[in-house]
Amino acid sequence: MAKSGAKAQEKVYVLLNGRIIGHISEPEAFANEIRQGRRNGVISGEVNISYDAKLNEIHINADRGRVRKPYIIVENSKSKFTKEIQDRLEKKEIDFNYLTRNGIVEFLDAEEEENALVAFTENDITDKTTHLEIDPAGIYGFSVNSSPFPENNAGPRVLTTANYLKQAQGLYASNFNVRYDSRAHLLFYPQKPMITTTAYESAGMAKRASGQNFIVASTTYYGYNMLDAIVVNKAAVDRGLGRSMFYKTYTDEERRYAGGQKDIFKIPAATSEGYLGEHAYSKLGEDGVIEPEFEVEEGDVLIGKTAPPRFLEENLGAGGIEAKTRDDSSVLKAGDKGVVDSAIFTETTGATRVVKVRIRSLKIPEVGDKFASRHGQKGVIALIVPEEDMPFTESGIIPDLLFNPEGTPSRMTQGHLLEMLGAKAVGLTGIRADGTPFAASGRKRMEEYEKVLDSHGYDKYGEETLYDGITGRPFKAKLFTGIAYYMKLYRMSSNLLQVRSRGSVQILTHQPTEGKARQGGLRFGEMERDVLVAYGASLLLKERMLDQSDKAQVYICTECGSTAYYDYAKHISICPICHSNKSVTMEISYAFKLLLDEIKSLHIDPSISISR
Amino acid sequence: MSAKKENLQINPGEPVGAIAAQSIGEPGTQMVLRTFHFAGIASAVTTGLPRVTELLDAKKVPAGPLITIYLNSEAKNNFAKAEEITKKISEIKASEIVRRAVENFSKGKITLIVNEQALKAVEMTSRQLAGIIKSKFSVDTDIDEEGNIEISAHTKKLREIRELAVKIMKSTVRGIEGAGRAMISQDQKTKEFFVMSAGTNVKDIMELEGVDKSRIYSNDVFEMNRIFGIEAARNGLIRELLKTFEDQGISISVRHLQLIADGMTFSGVIKGNSRRGIIADKESVFARAAFEETVKHLINAAAFGEQDRLNGVTENILIGKQIPLGTGSIKLAVKSGKEAKPKEGKEGKESKEK
Repeated sequence: MAKSGAKAQEKVYVLLNGRIIGHISEPEAFANEIRQGRRNGVISGEVNISYDAKLNEIHINADRGRVRKPYIIVENSKSKFTKEIQDRLEKKEIDFNYLTRNGIVEFLDAEEEENALVAFTENDITDKTTHLEIDPAGIYGFSVNSSPFPENNAGPRVLTTANYLKQAQGLYASNFNVRYDSRAHLLFYPQKPMITTTAYESAGMAKRASGQNFIVASTTYYGYNMLDAIVVNKAAVDRGLGRSMFYKTYTDEERRYAGGQKDIFKIPAATSEGYLGEHAYSKLGEDGVIEPEFEVEEGDVLIGKTAPPRFLEENLGAGGIEAKTRDDSSVLKAGDKGVVDSAIFTETTGATRVVKVRIRSLKIPEVGDKFASRHGQKGVIALIVPEEDMPFTESGIIPDLLFNPEGTPSRMTQGHLLEMLGAKAVGLTGIRADGTPFAASGRKRMEEYEKVLDSHGYDKYGEETLYDGITGRPFKAKLFTGIAYYMKLYRMSSNLLQVRSRGSVQILTHQPTEGKARQGGLRFGEMERDVLVAYGASLLLKERMLDQSDKAQVYICTECGSTAYYDYAKHISICPICHSNKSVTMEISYAFKLLLDEIKSLHIDPSISISR
Repeated sequence: MSAKKENLQINPGEPVGAIAAQSIGEPGTQMVLRTFHFAGIASAVTTGLPRVTELLDAKKVPAGPLITIYLNSEAKNNFAKAEEITKKISEIKASEIVRRAVENFSKGKITLIVNEQALKAVEMTSRQLAGIIKSKFSVDTDIDEEGNIEISAHTKKLREIRELAVKIMKSTVRGIEGAGRAMISQDQKTKEFFVMSAGTNVKDIMELEGVDKSRIYSNDVFEMNRIFGIEAARNGLIRELLKTFEDQGISISVRHLQLIADGMTFSGVIKGNSRRGIIADKESVFARAAFEETVKHLINAAAFGEQDRLNGVTENILIGKQIPLGTGSIKLAVKSGKEAKPKEGKEGKESKEK
């Protein structure tokens, strides 16, 4: 096509990879010609062209980094992927590459998609349709596609599911034993879900599953599963349900410093600066690294290391005496606990030695651990009930998990119910069911499962009479019972738990530190303060803001009102301003003392006048 | 009855301010920015959180002013009369009925191209419009065959002609200046007619015949203050706040709003809950510095040698003393003789001098 603007109509600029290369006058025809060329194999299939009518520009992109998606081409309201081609594909006479090369399938990037009208199914094709989805499930990404029945759930729930899938514990890699991930979770008995999807199977997810099939009863349990809490069967936990291993790797390196000095892996000498005491190093081997299978707790040294002193002068003291060193050992962090799994020596490219120590700790489900199904239904264990106290069915089946039915109506997760029903049917037939999105309508699927349940003598709606484990009496209502695939998410209470009664304070303000890593407290903030003010609890407020925070005793000179100090040798207080010995002690917040000091640094003299 | 009365009494030292603030703040978090759309004039009125901020910060110019004008006994049940009053109030600006003003600088003339449809909608003619402009700006006017108005400006200075054109376009040609568009409404219960106007200028509206002066109400609290005084402004504040919360389905005890309105108006002028309003009136240096503009307050305190007598809440928390509220509001009146010797003078006064 000629790139001339001879007609002098409206100029349409053509941009190749973002740069203007010329202009044309008939954009639609031009774009179609490029597309035809691409389909005929004259132009590379990696070229995408789009006409933006708003900007009145043509964008041709052939550079890297564009996300592209394959579509079946539709011409004259007819799909190019005909029955004949399908047969040949099934007979393996042709492959996918044949389709792309022969103008049956093409890849569109995000920009060209704006020019296309894609039909969802073949029946939706109209005379304006340009492309056809290869599979209706193609509108979802992988995460959503690997959960069953997403089309039956509310949109936000589908998105949360996609998020939870990424947090699930499972068999994350089959070479986990030789890997030193800084943090890793390994589920003990991963199971393949009873209802899978095409995407799940074809990606091989079933071979490294990340969840287990839980027997679920949809009921409350003495208020213990209110608001997204779940109740779990203790016997099931004892049998290994939701059991996992947590691996954490500590790494340290023998760094080299200017002046030829370097770190050394060894048990530090008692004379080194910051020595933690003999006991702390008792689990280390001769090489300074902890031995495998030692049980370790908070404060234990894992890697003994000495470093040269921070300032060179320290080392230049009296000649002949052993050089001073600094203890720079790696200590197990606050809240960590476990067994040393393995320790290895390795090297960096800079030929410095590196030690990696892997700690393993068993994580048996406990109160506070988070679980989620594949329908955005998360829950935290609130109670682990002995088997005998759990409700049971007529046939003696005791559910693993009690799911509060209140969570369903407001969230509109019909897919969760469908999965429970379907998986129950799968459990009876032994034939895995398919939950690929849009593969069948929800009603059709439901009818199918109902038929199976009915033929096996179960209630076709999945409801069963349950008996209270404590009283033995049957519940008045029949309860919806089934099987759902639950994932154990990596947020476990044992890794998140933190308490403090007393501890370290910040140097500047003398207030307690913040954050788990620093053994910090929880901030009693402005709004919390207002609550105590409004309640009139003045002494409680003072305790929070002063006694439990940054209380400081300050001497105030009664003569001039400035801060004085106490001379312990002479047992008198001295005012540095007026040299008076008369003073009183005051309890004020350190933050206020700091404020006074900072005001003084501005050459302003604050004074405190004491009455009486 | 007396037991109930005793129950309702507030105890000495009760932090009523903090309770009021929390009682408004907590439901305030649930307020939605989504505004309900009403038909007519009321749709221009701001609602929800923006309106609450506007009231509490005491913004001088409200975003959606609205005057409710009740009519006297003669007009309130007479639609024709009510409509007549509405027409008298409703403000029409020249720019609404004139398409554009074409200036002819060489002849010193301005031609107003009239929008005939708009003119018809407000039941006016070009002649009437020309008359109004003539008397208002003391210029000569003429009407051509298309109904457009030609104005002789009596000057040939470019600047003056341009200024005159702009002035004419901005001028009010009918109704009360600043009153805004008025609309007639009917009360659901009493079936009486009243007028709602999306403007300010209560003063001129009051002077109209047929208007019930005793019931006129503006949602602009500053206007209420200007015309009816501070007590009216206080009541207006309470009423507006209460209405804004109730529109969102939030019920707050009116006592909390009364307290806040009292705090905002007791000085005789309306002061907002901001660093320039009631916070600036705080006695304590520390309390002011703790709110906003810390450095400014500390520097001023140093320059003027201010004293902080530590009577408030914020400053006592800051230095670590028991607050003088609630359980901390009780003090010993007399100390017995034996213990009279001062142990530790905890009563601190803070002064700053340069």
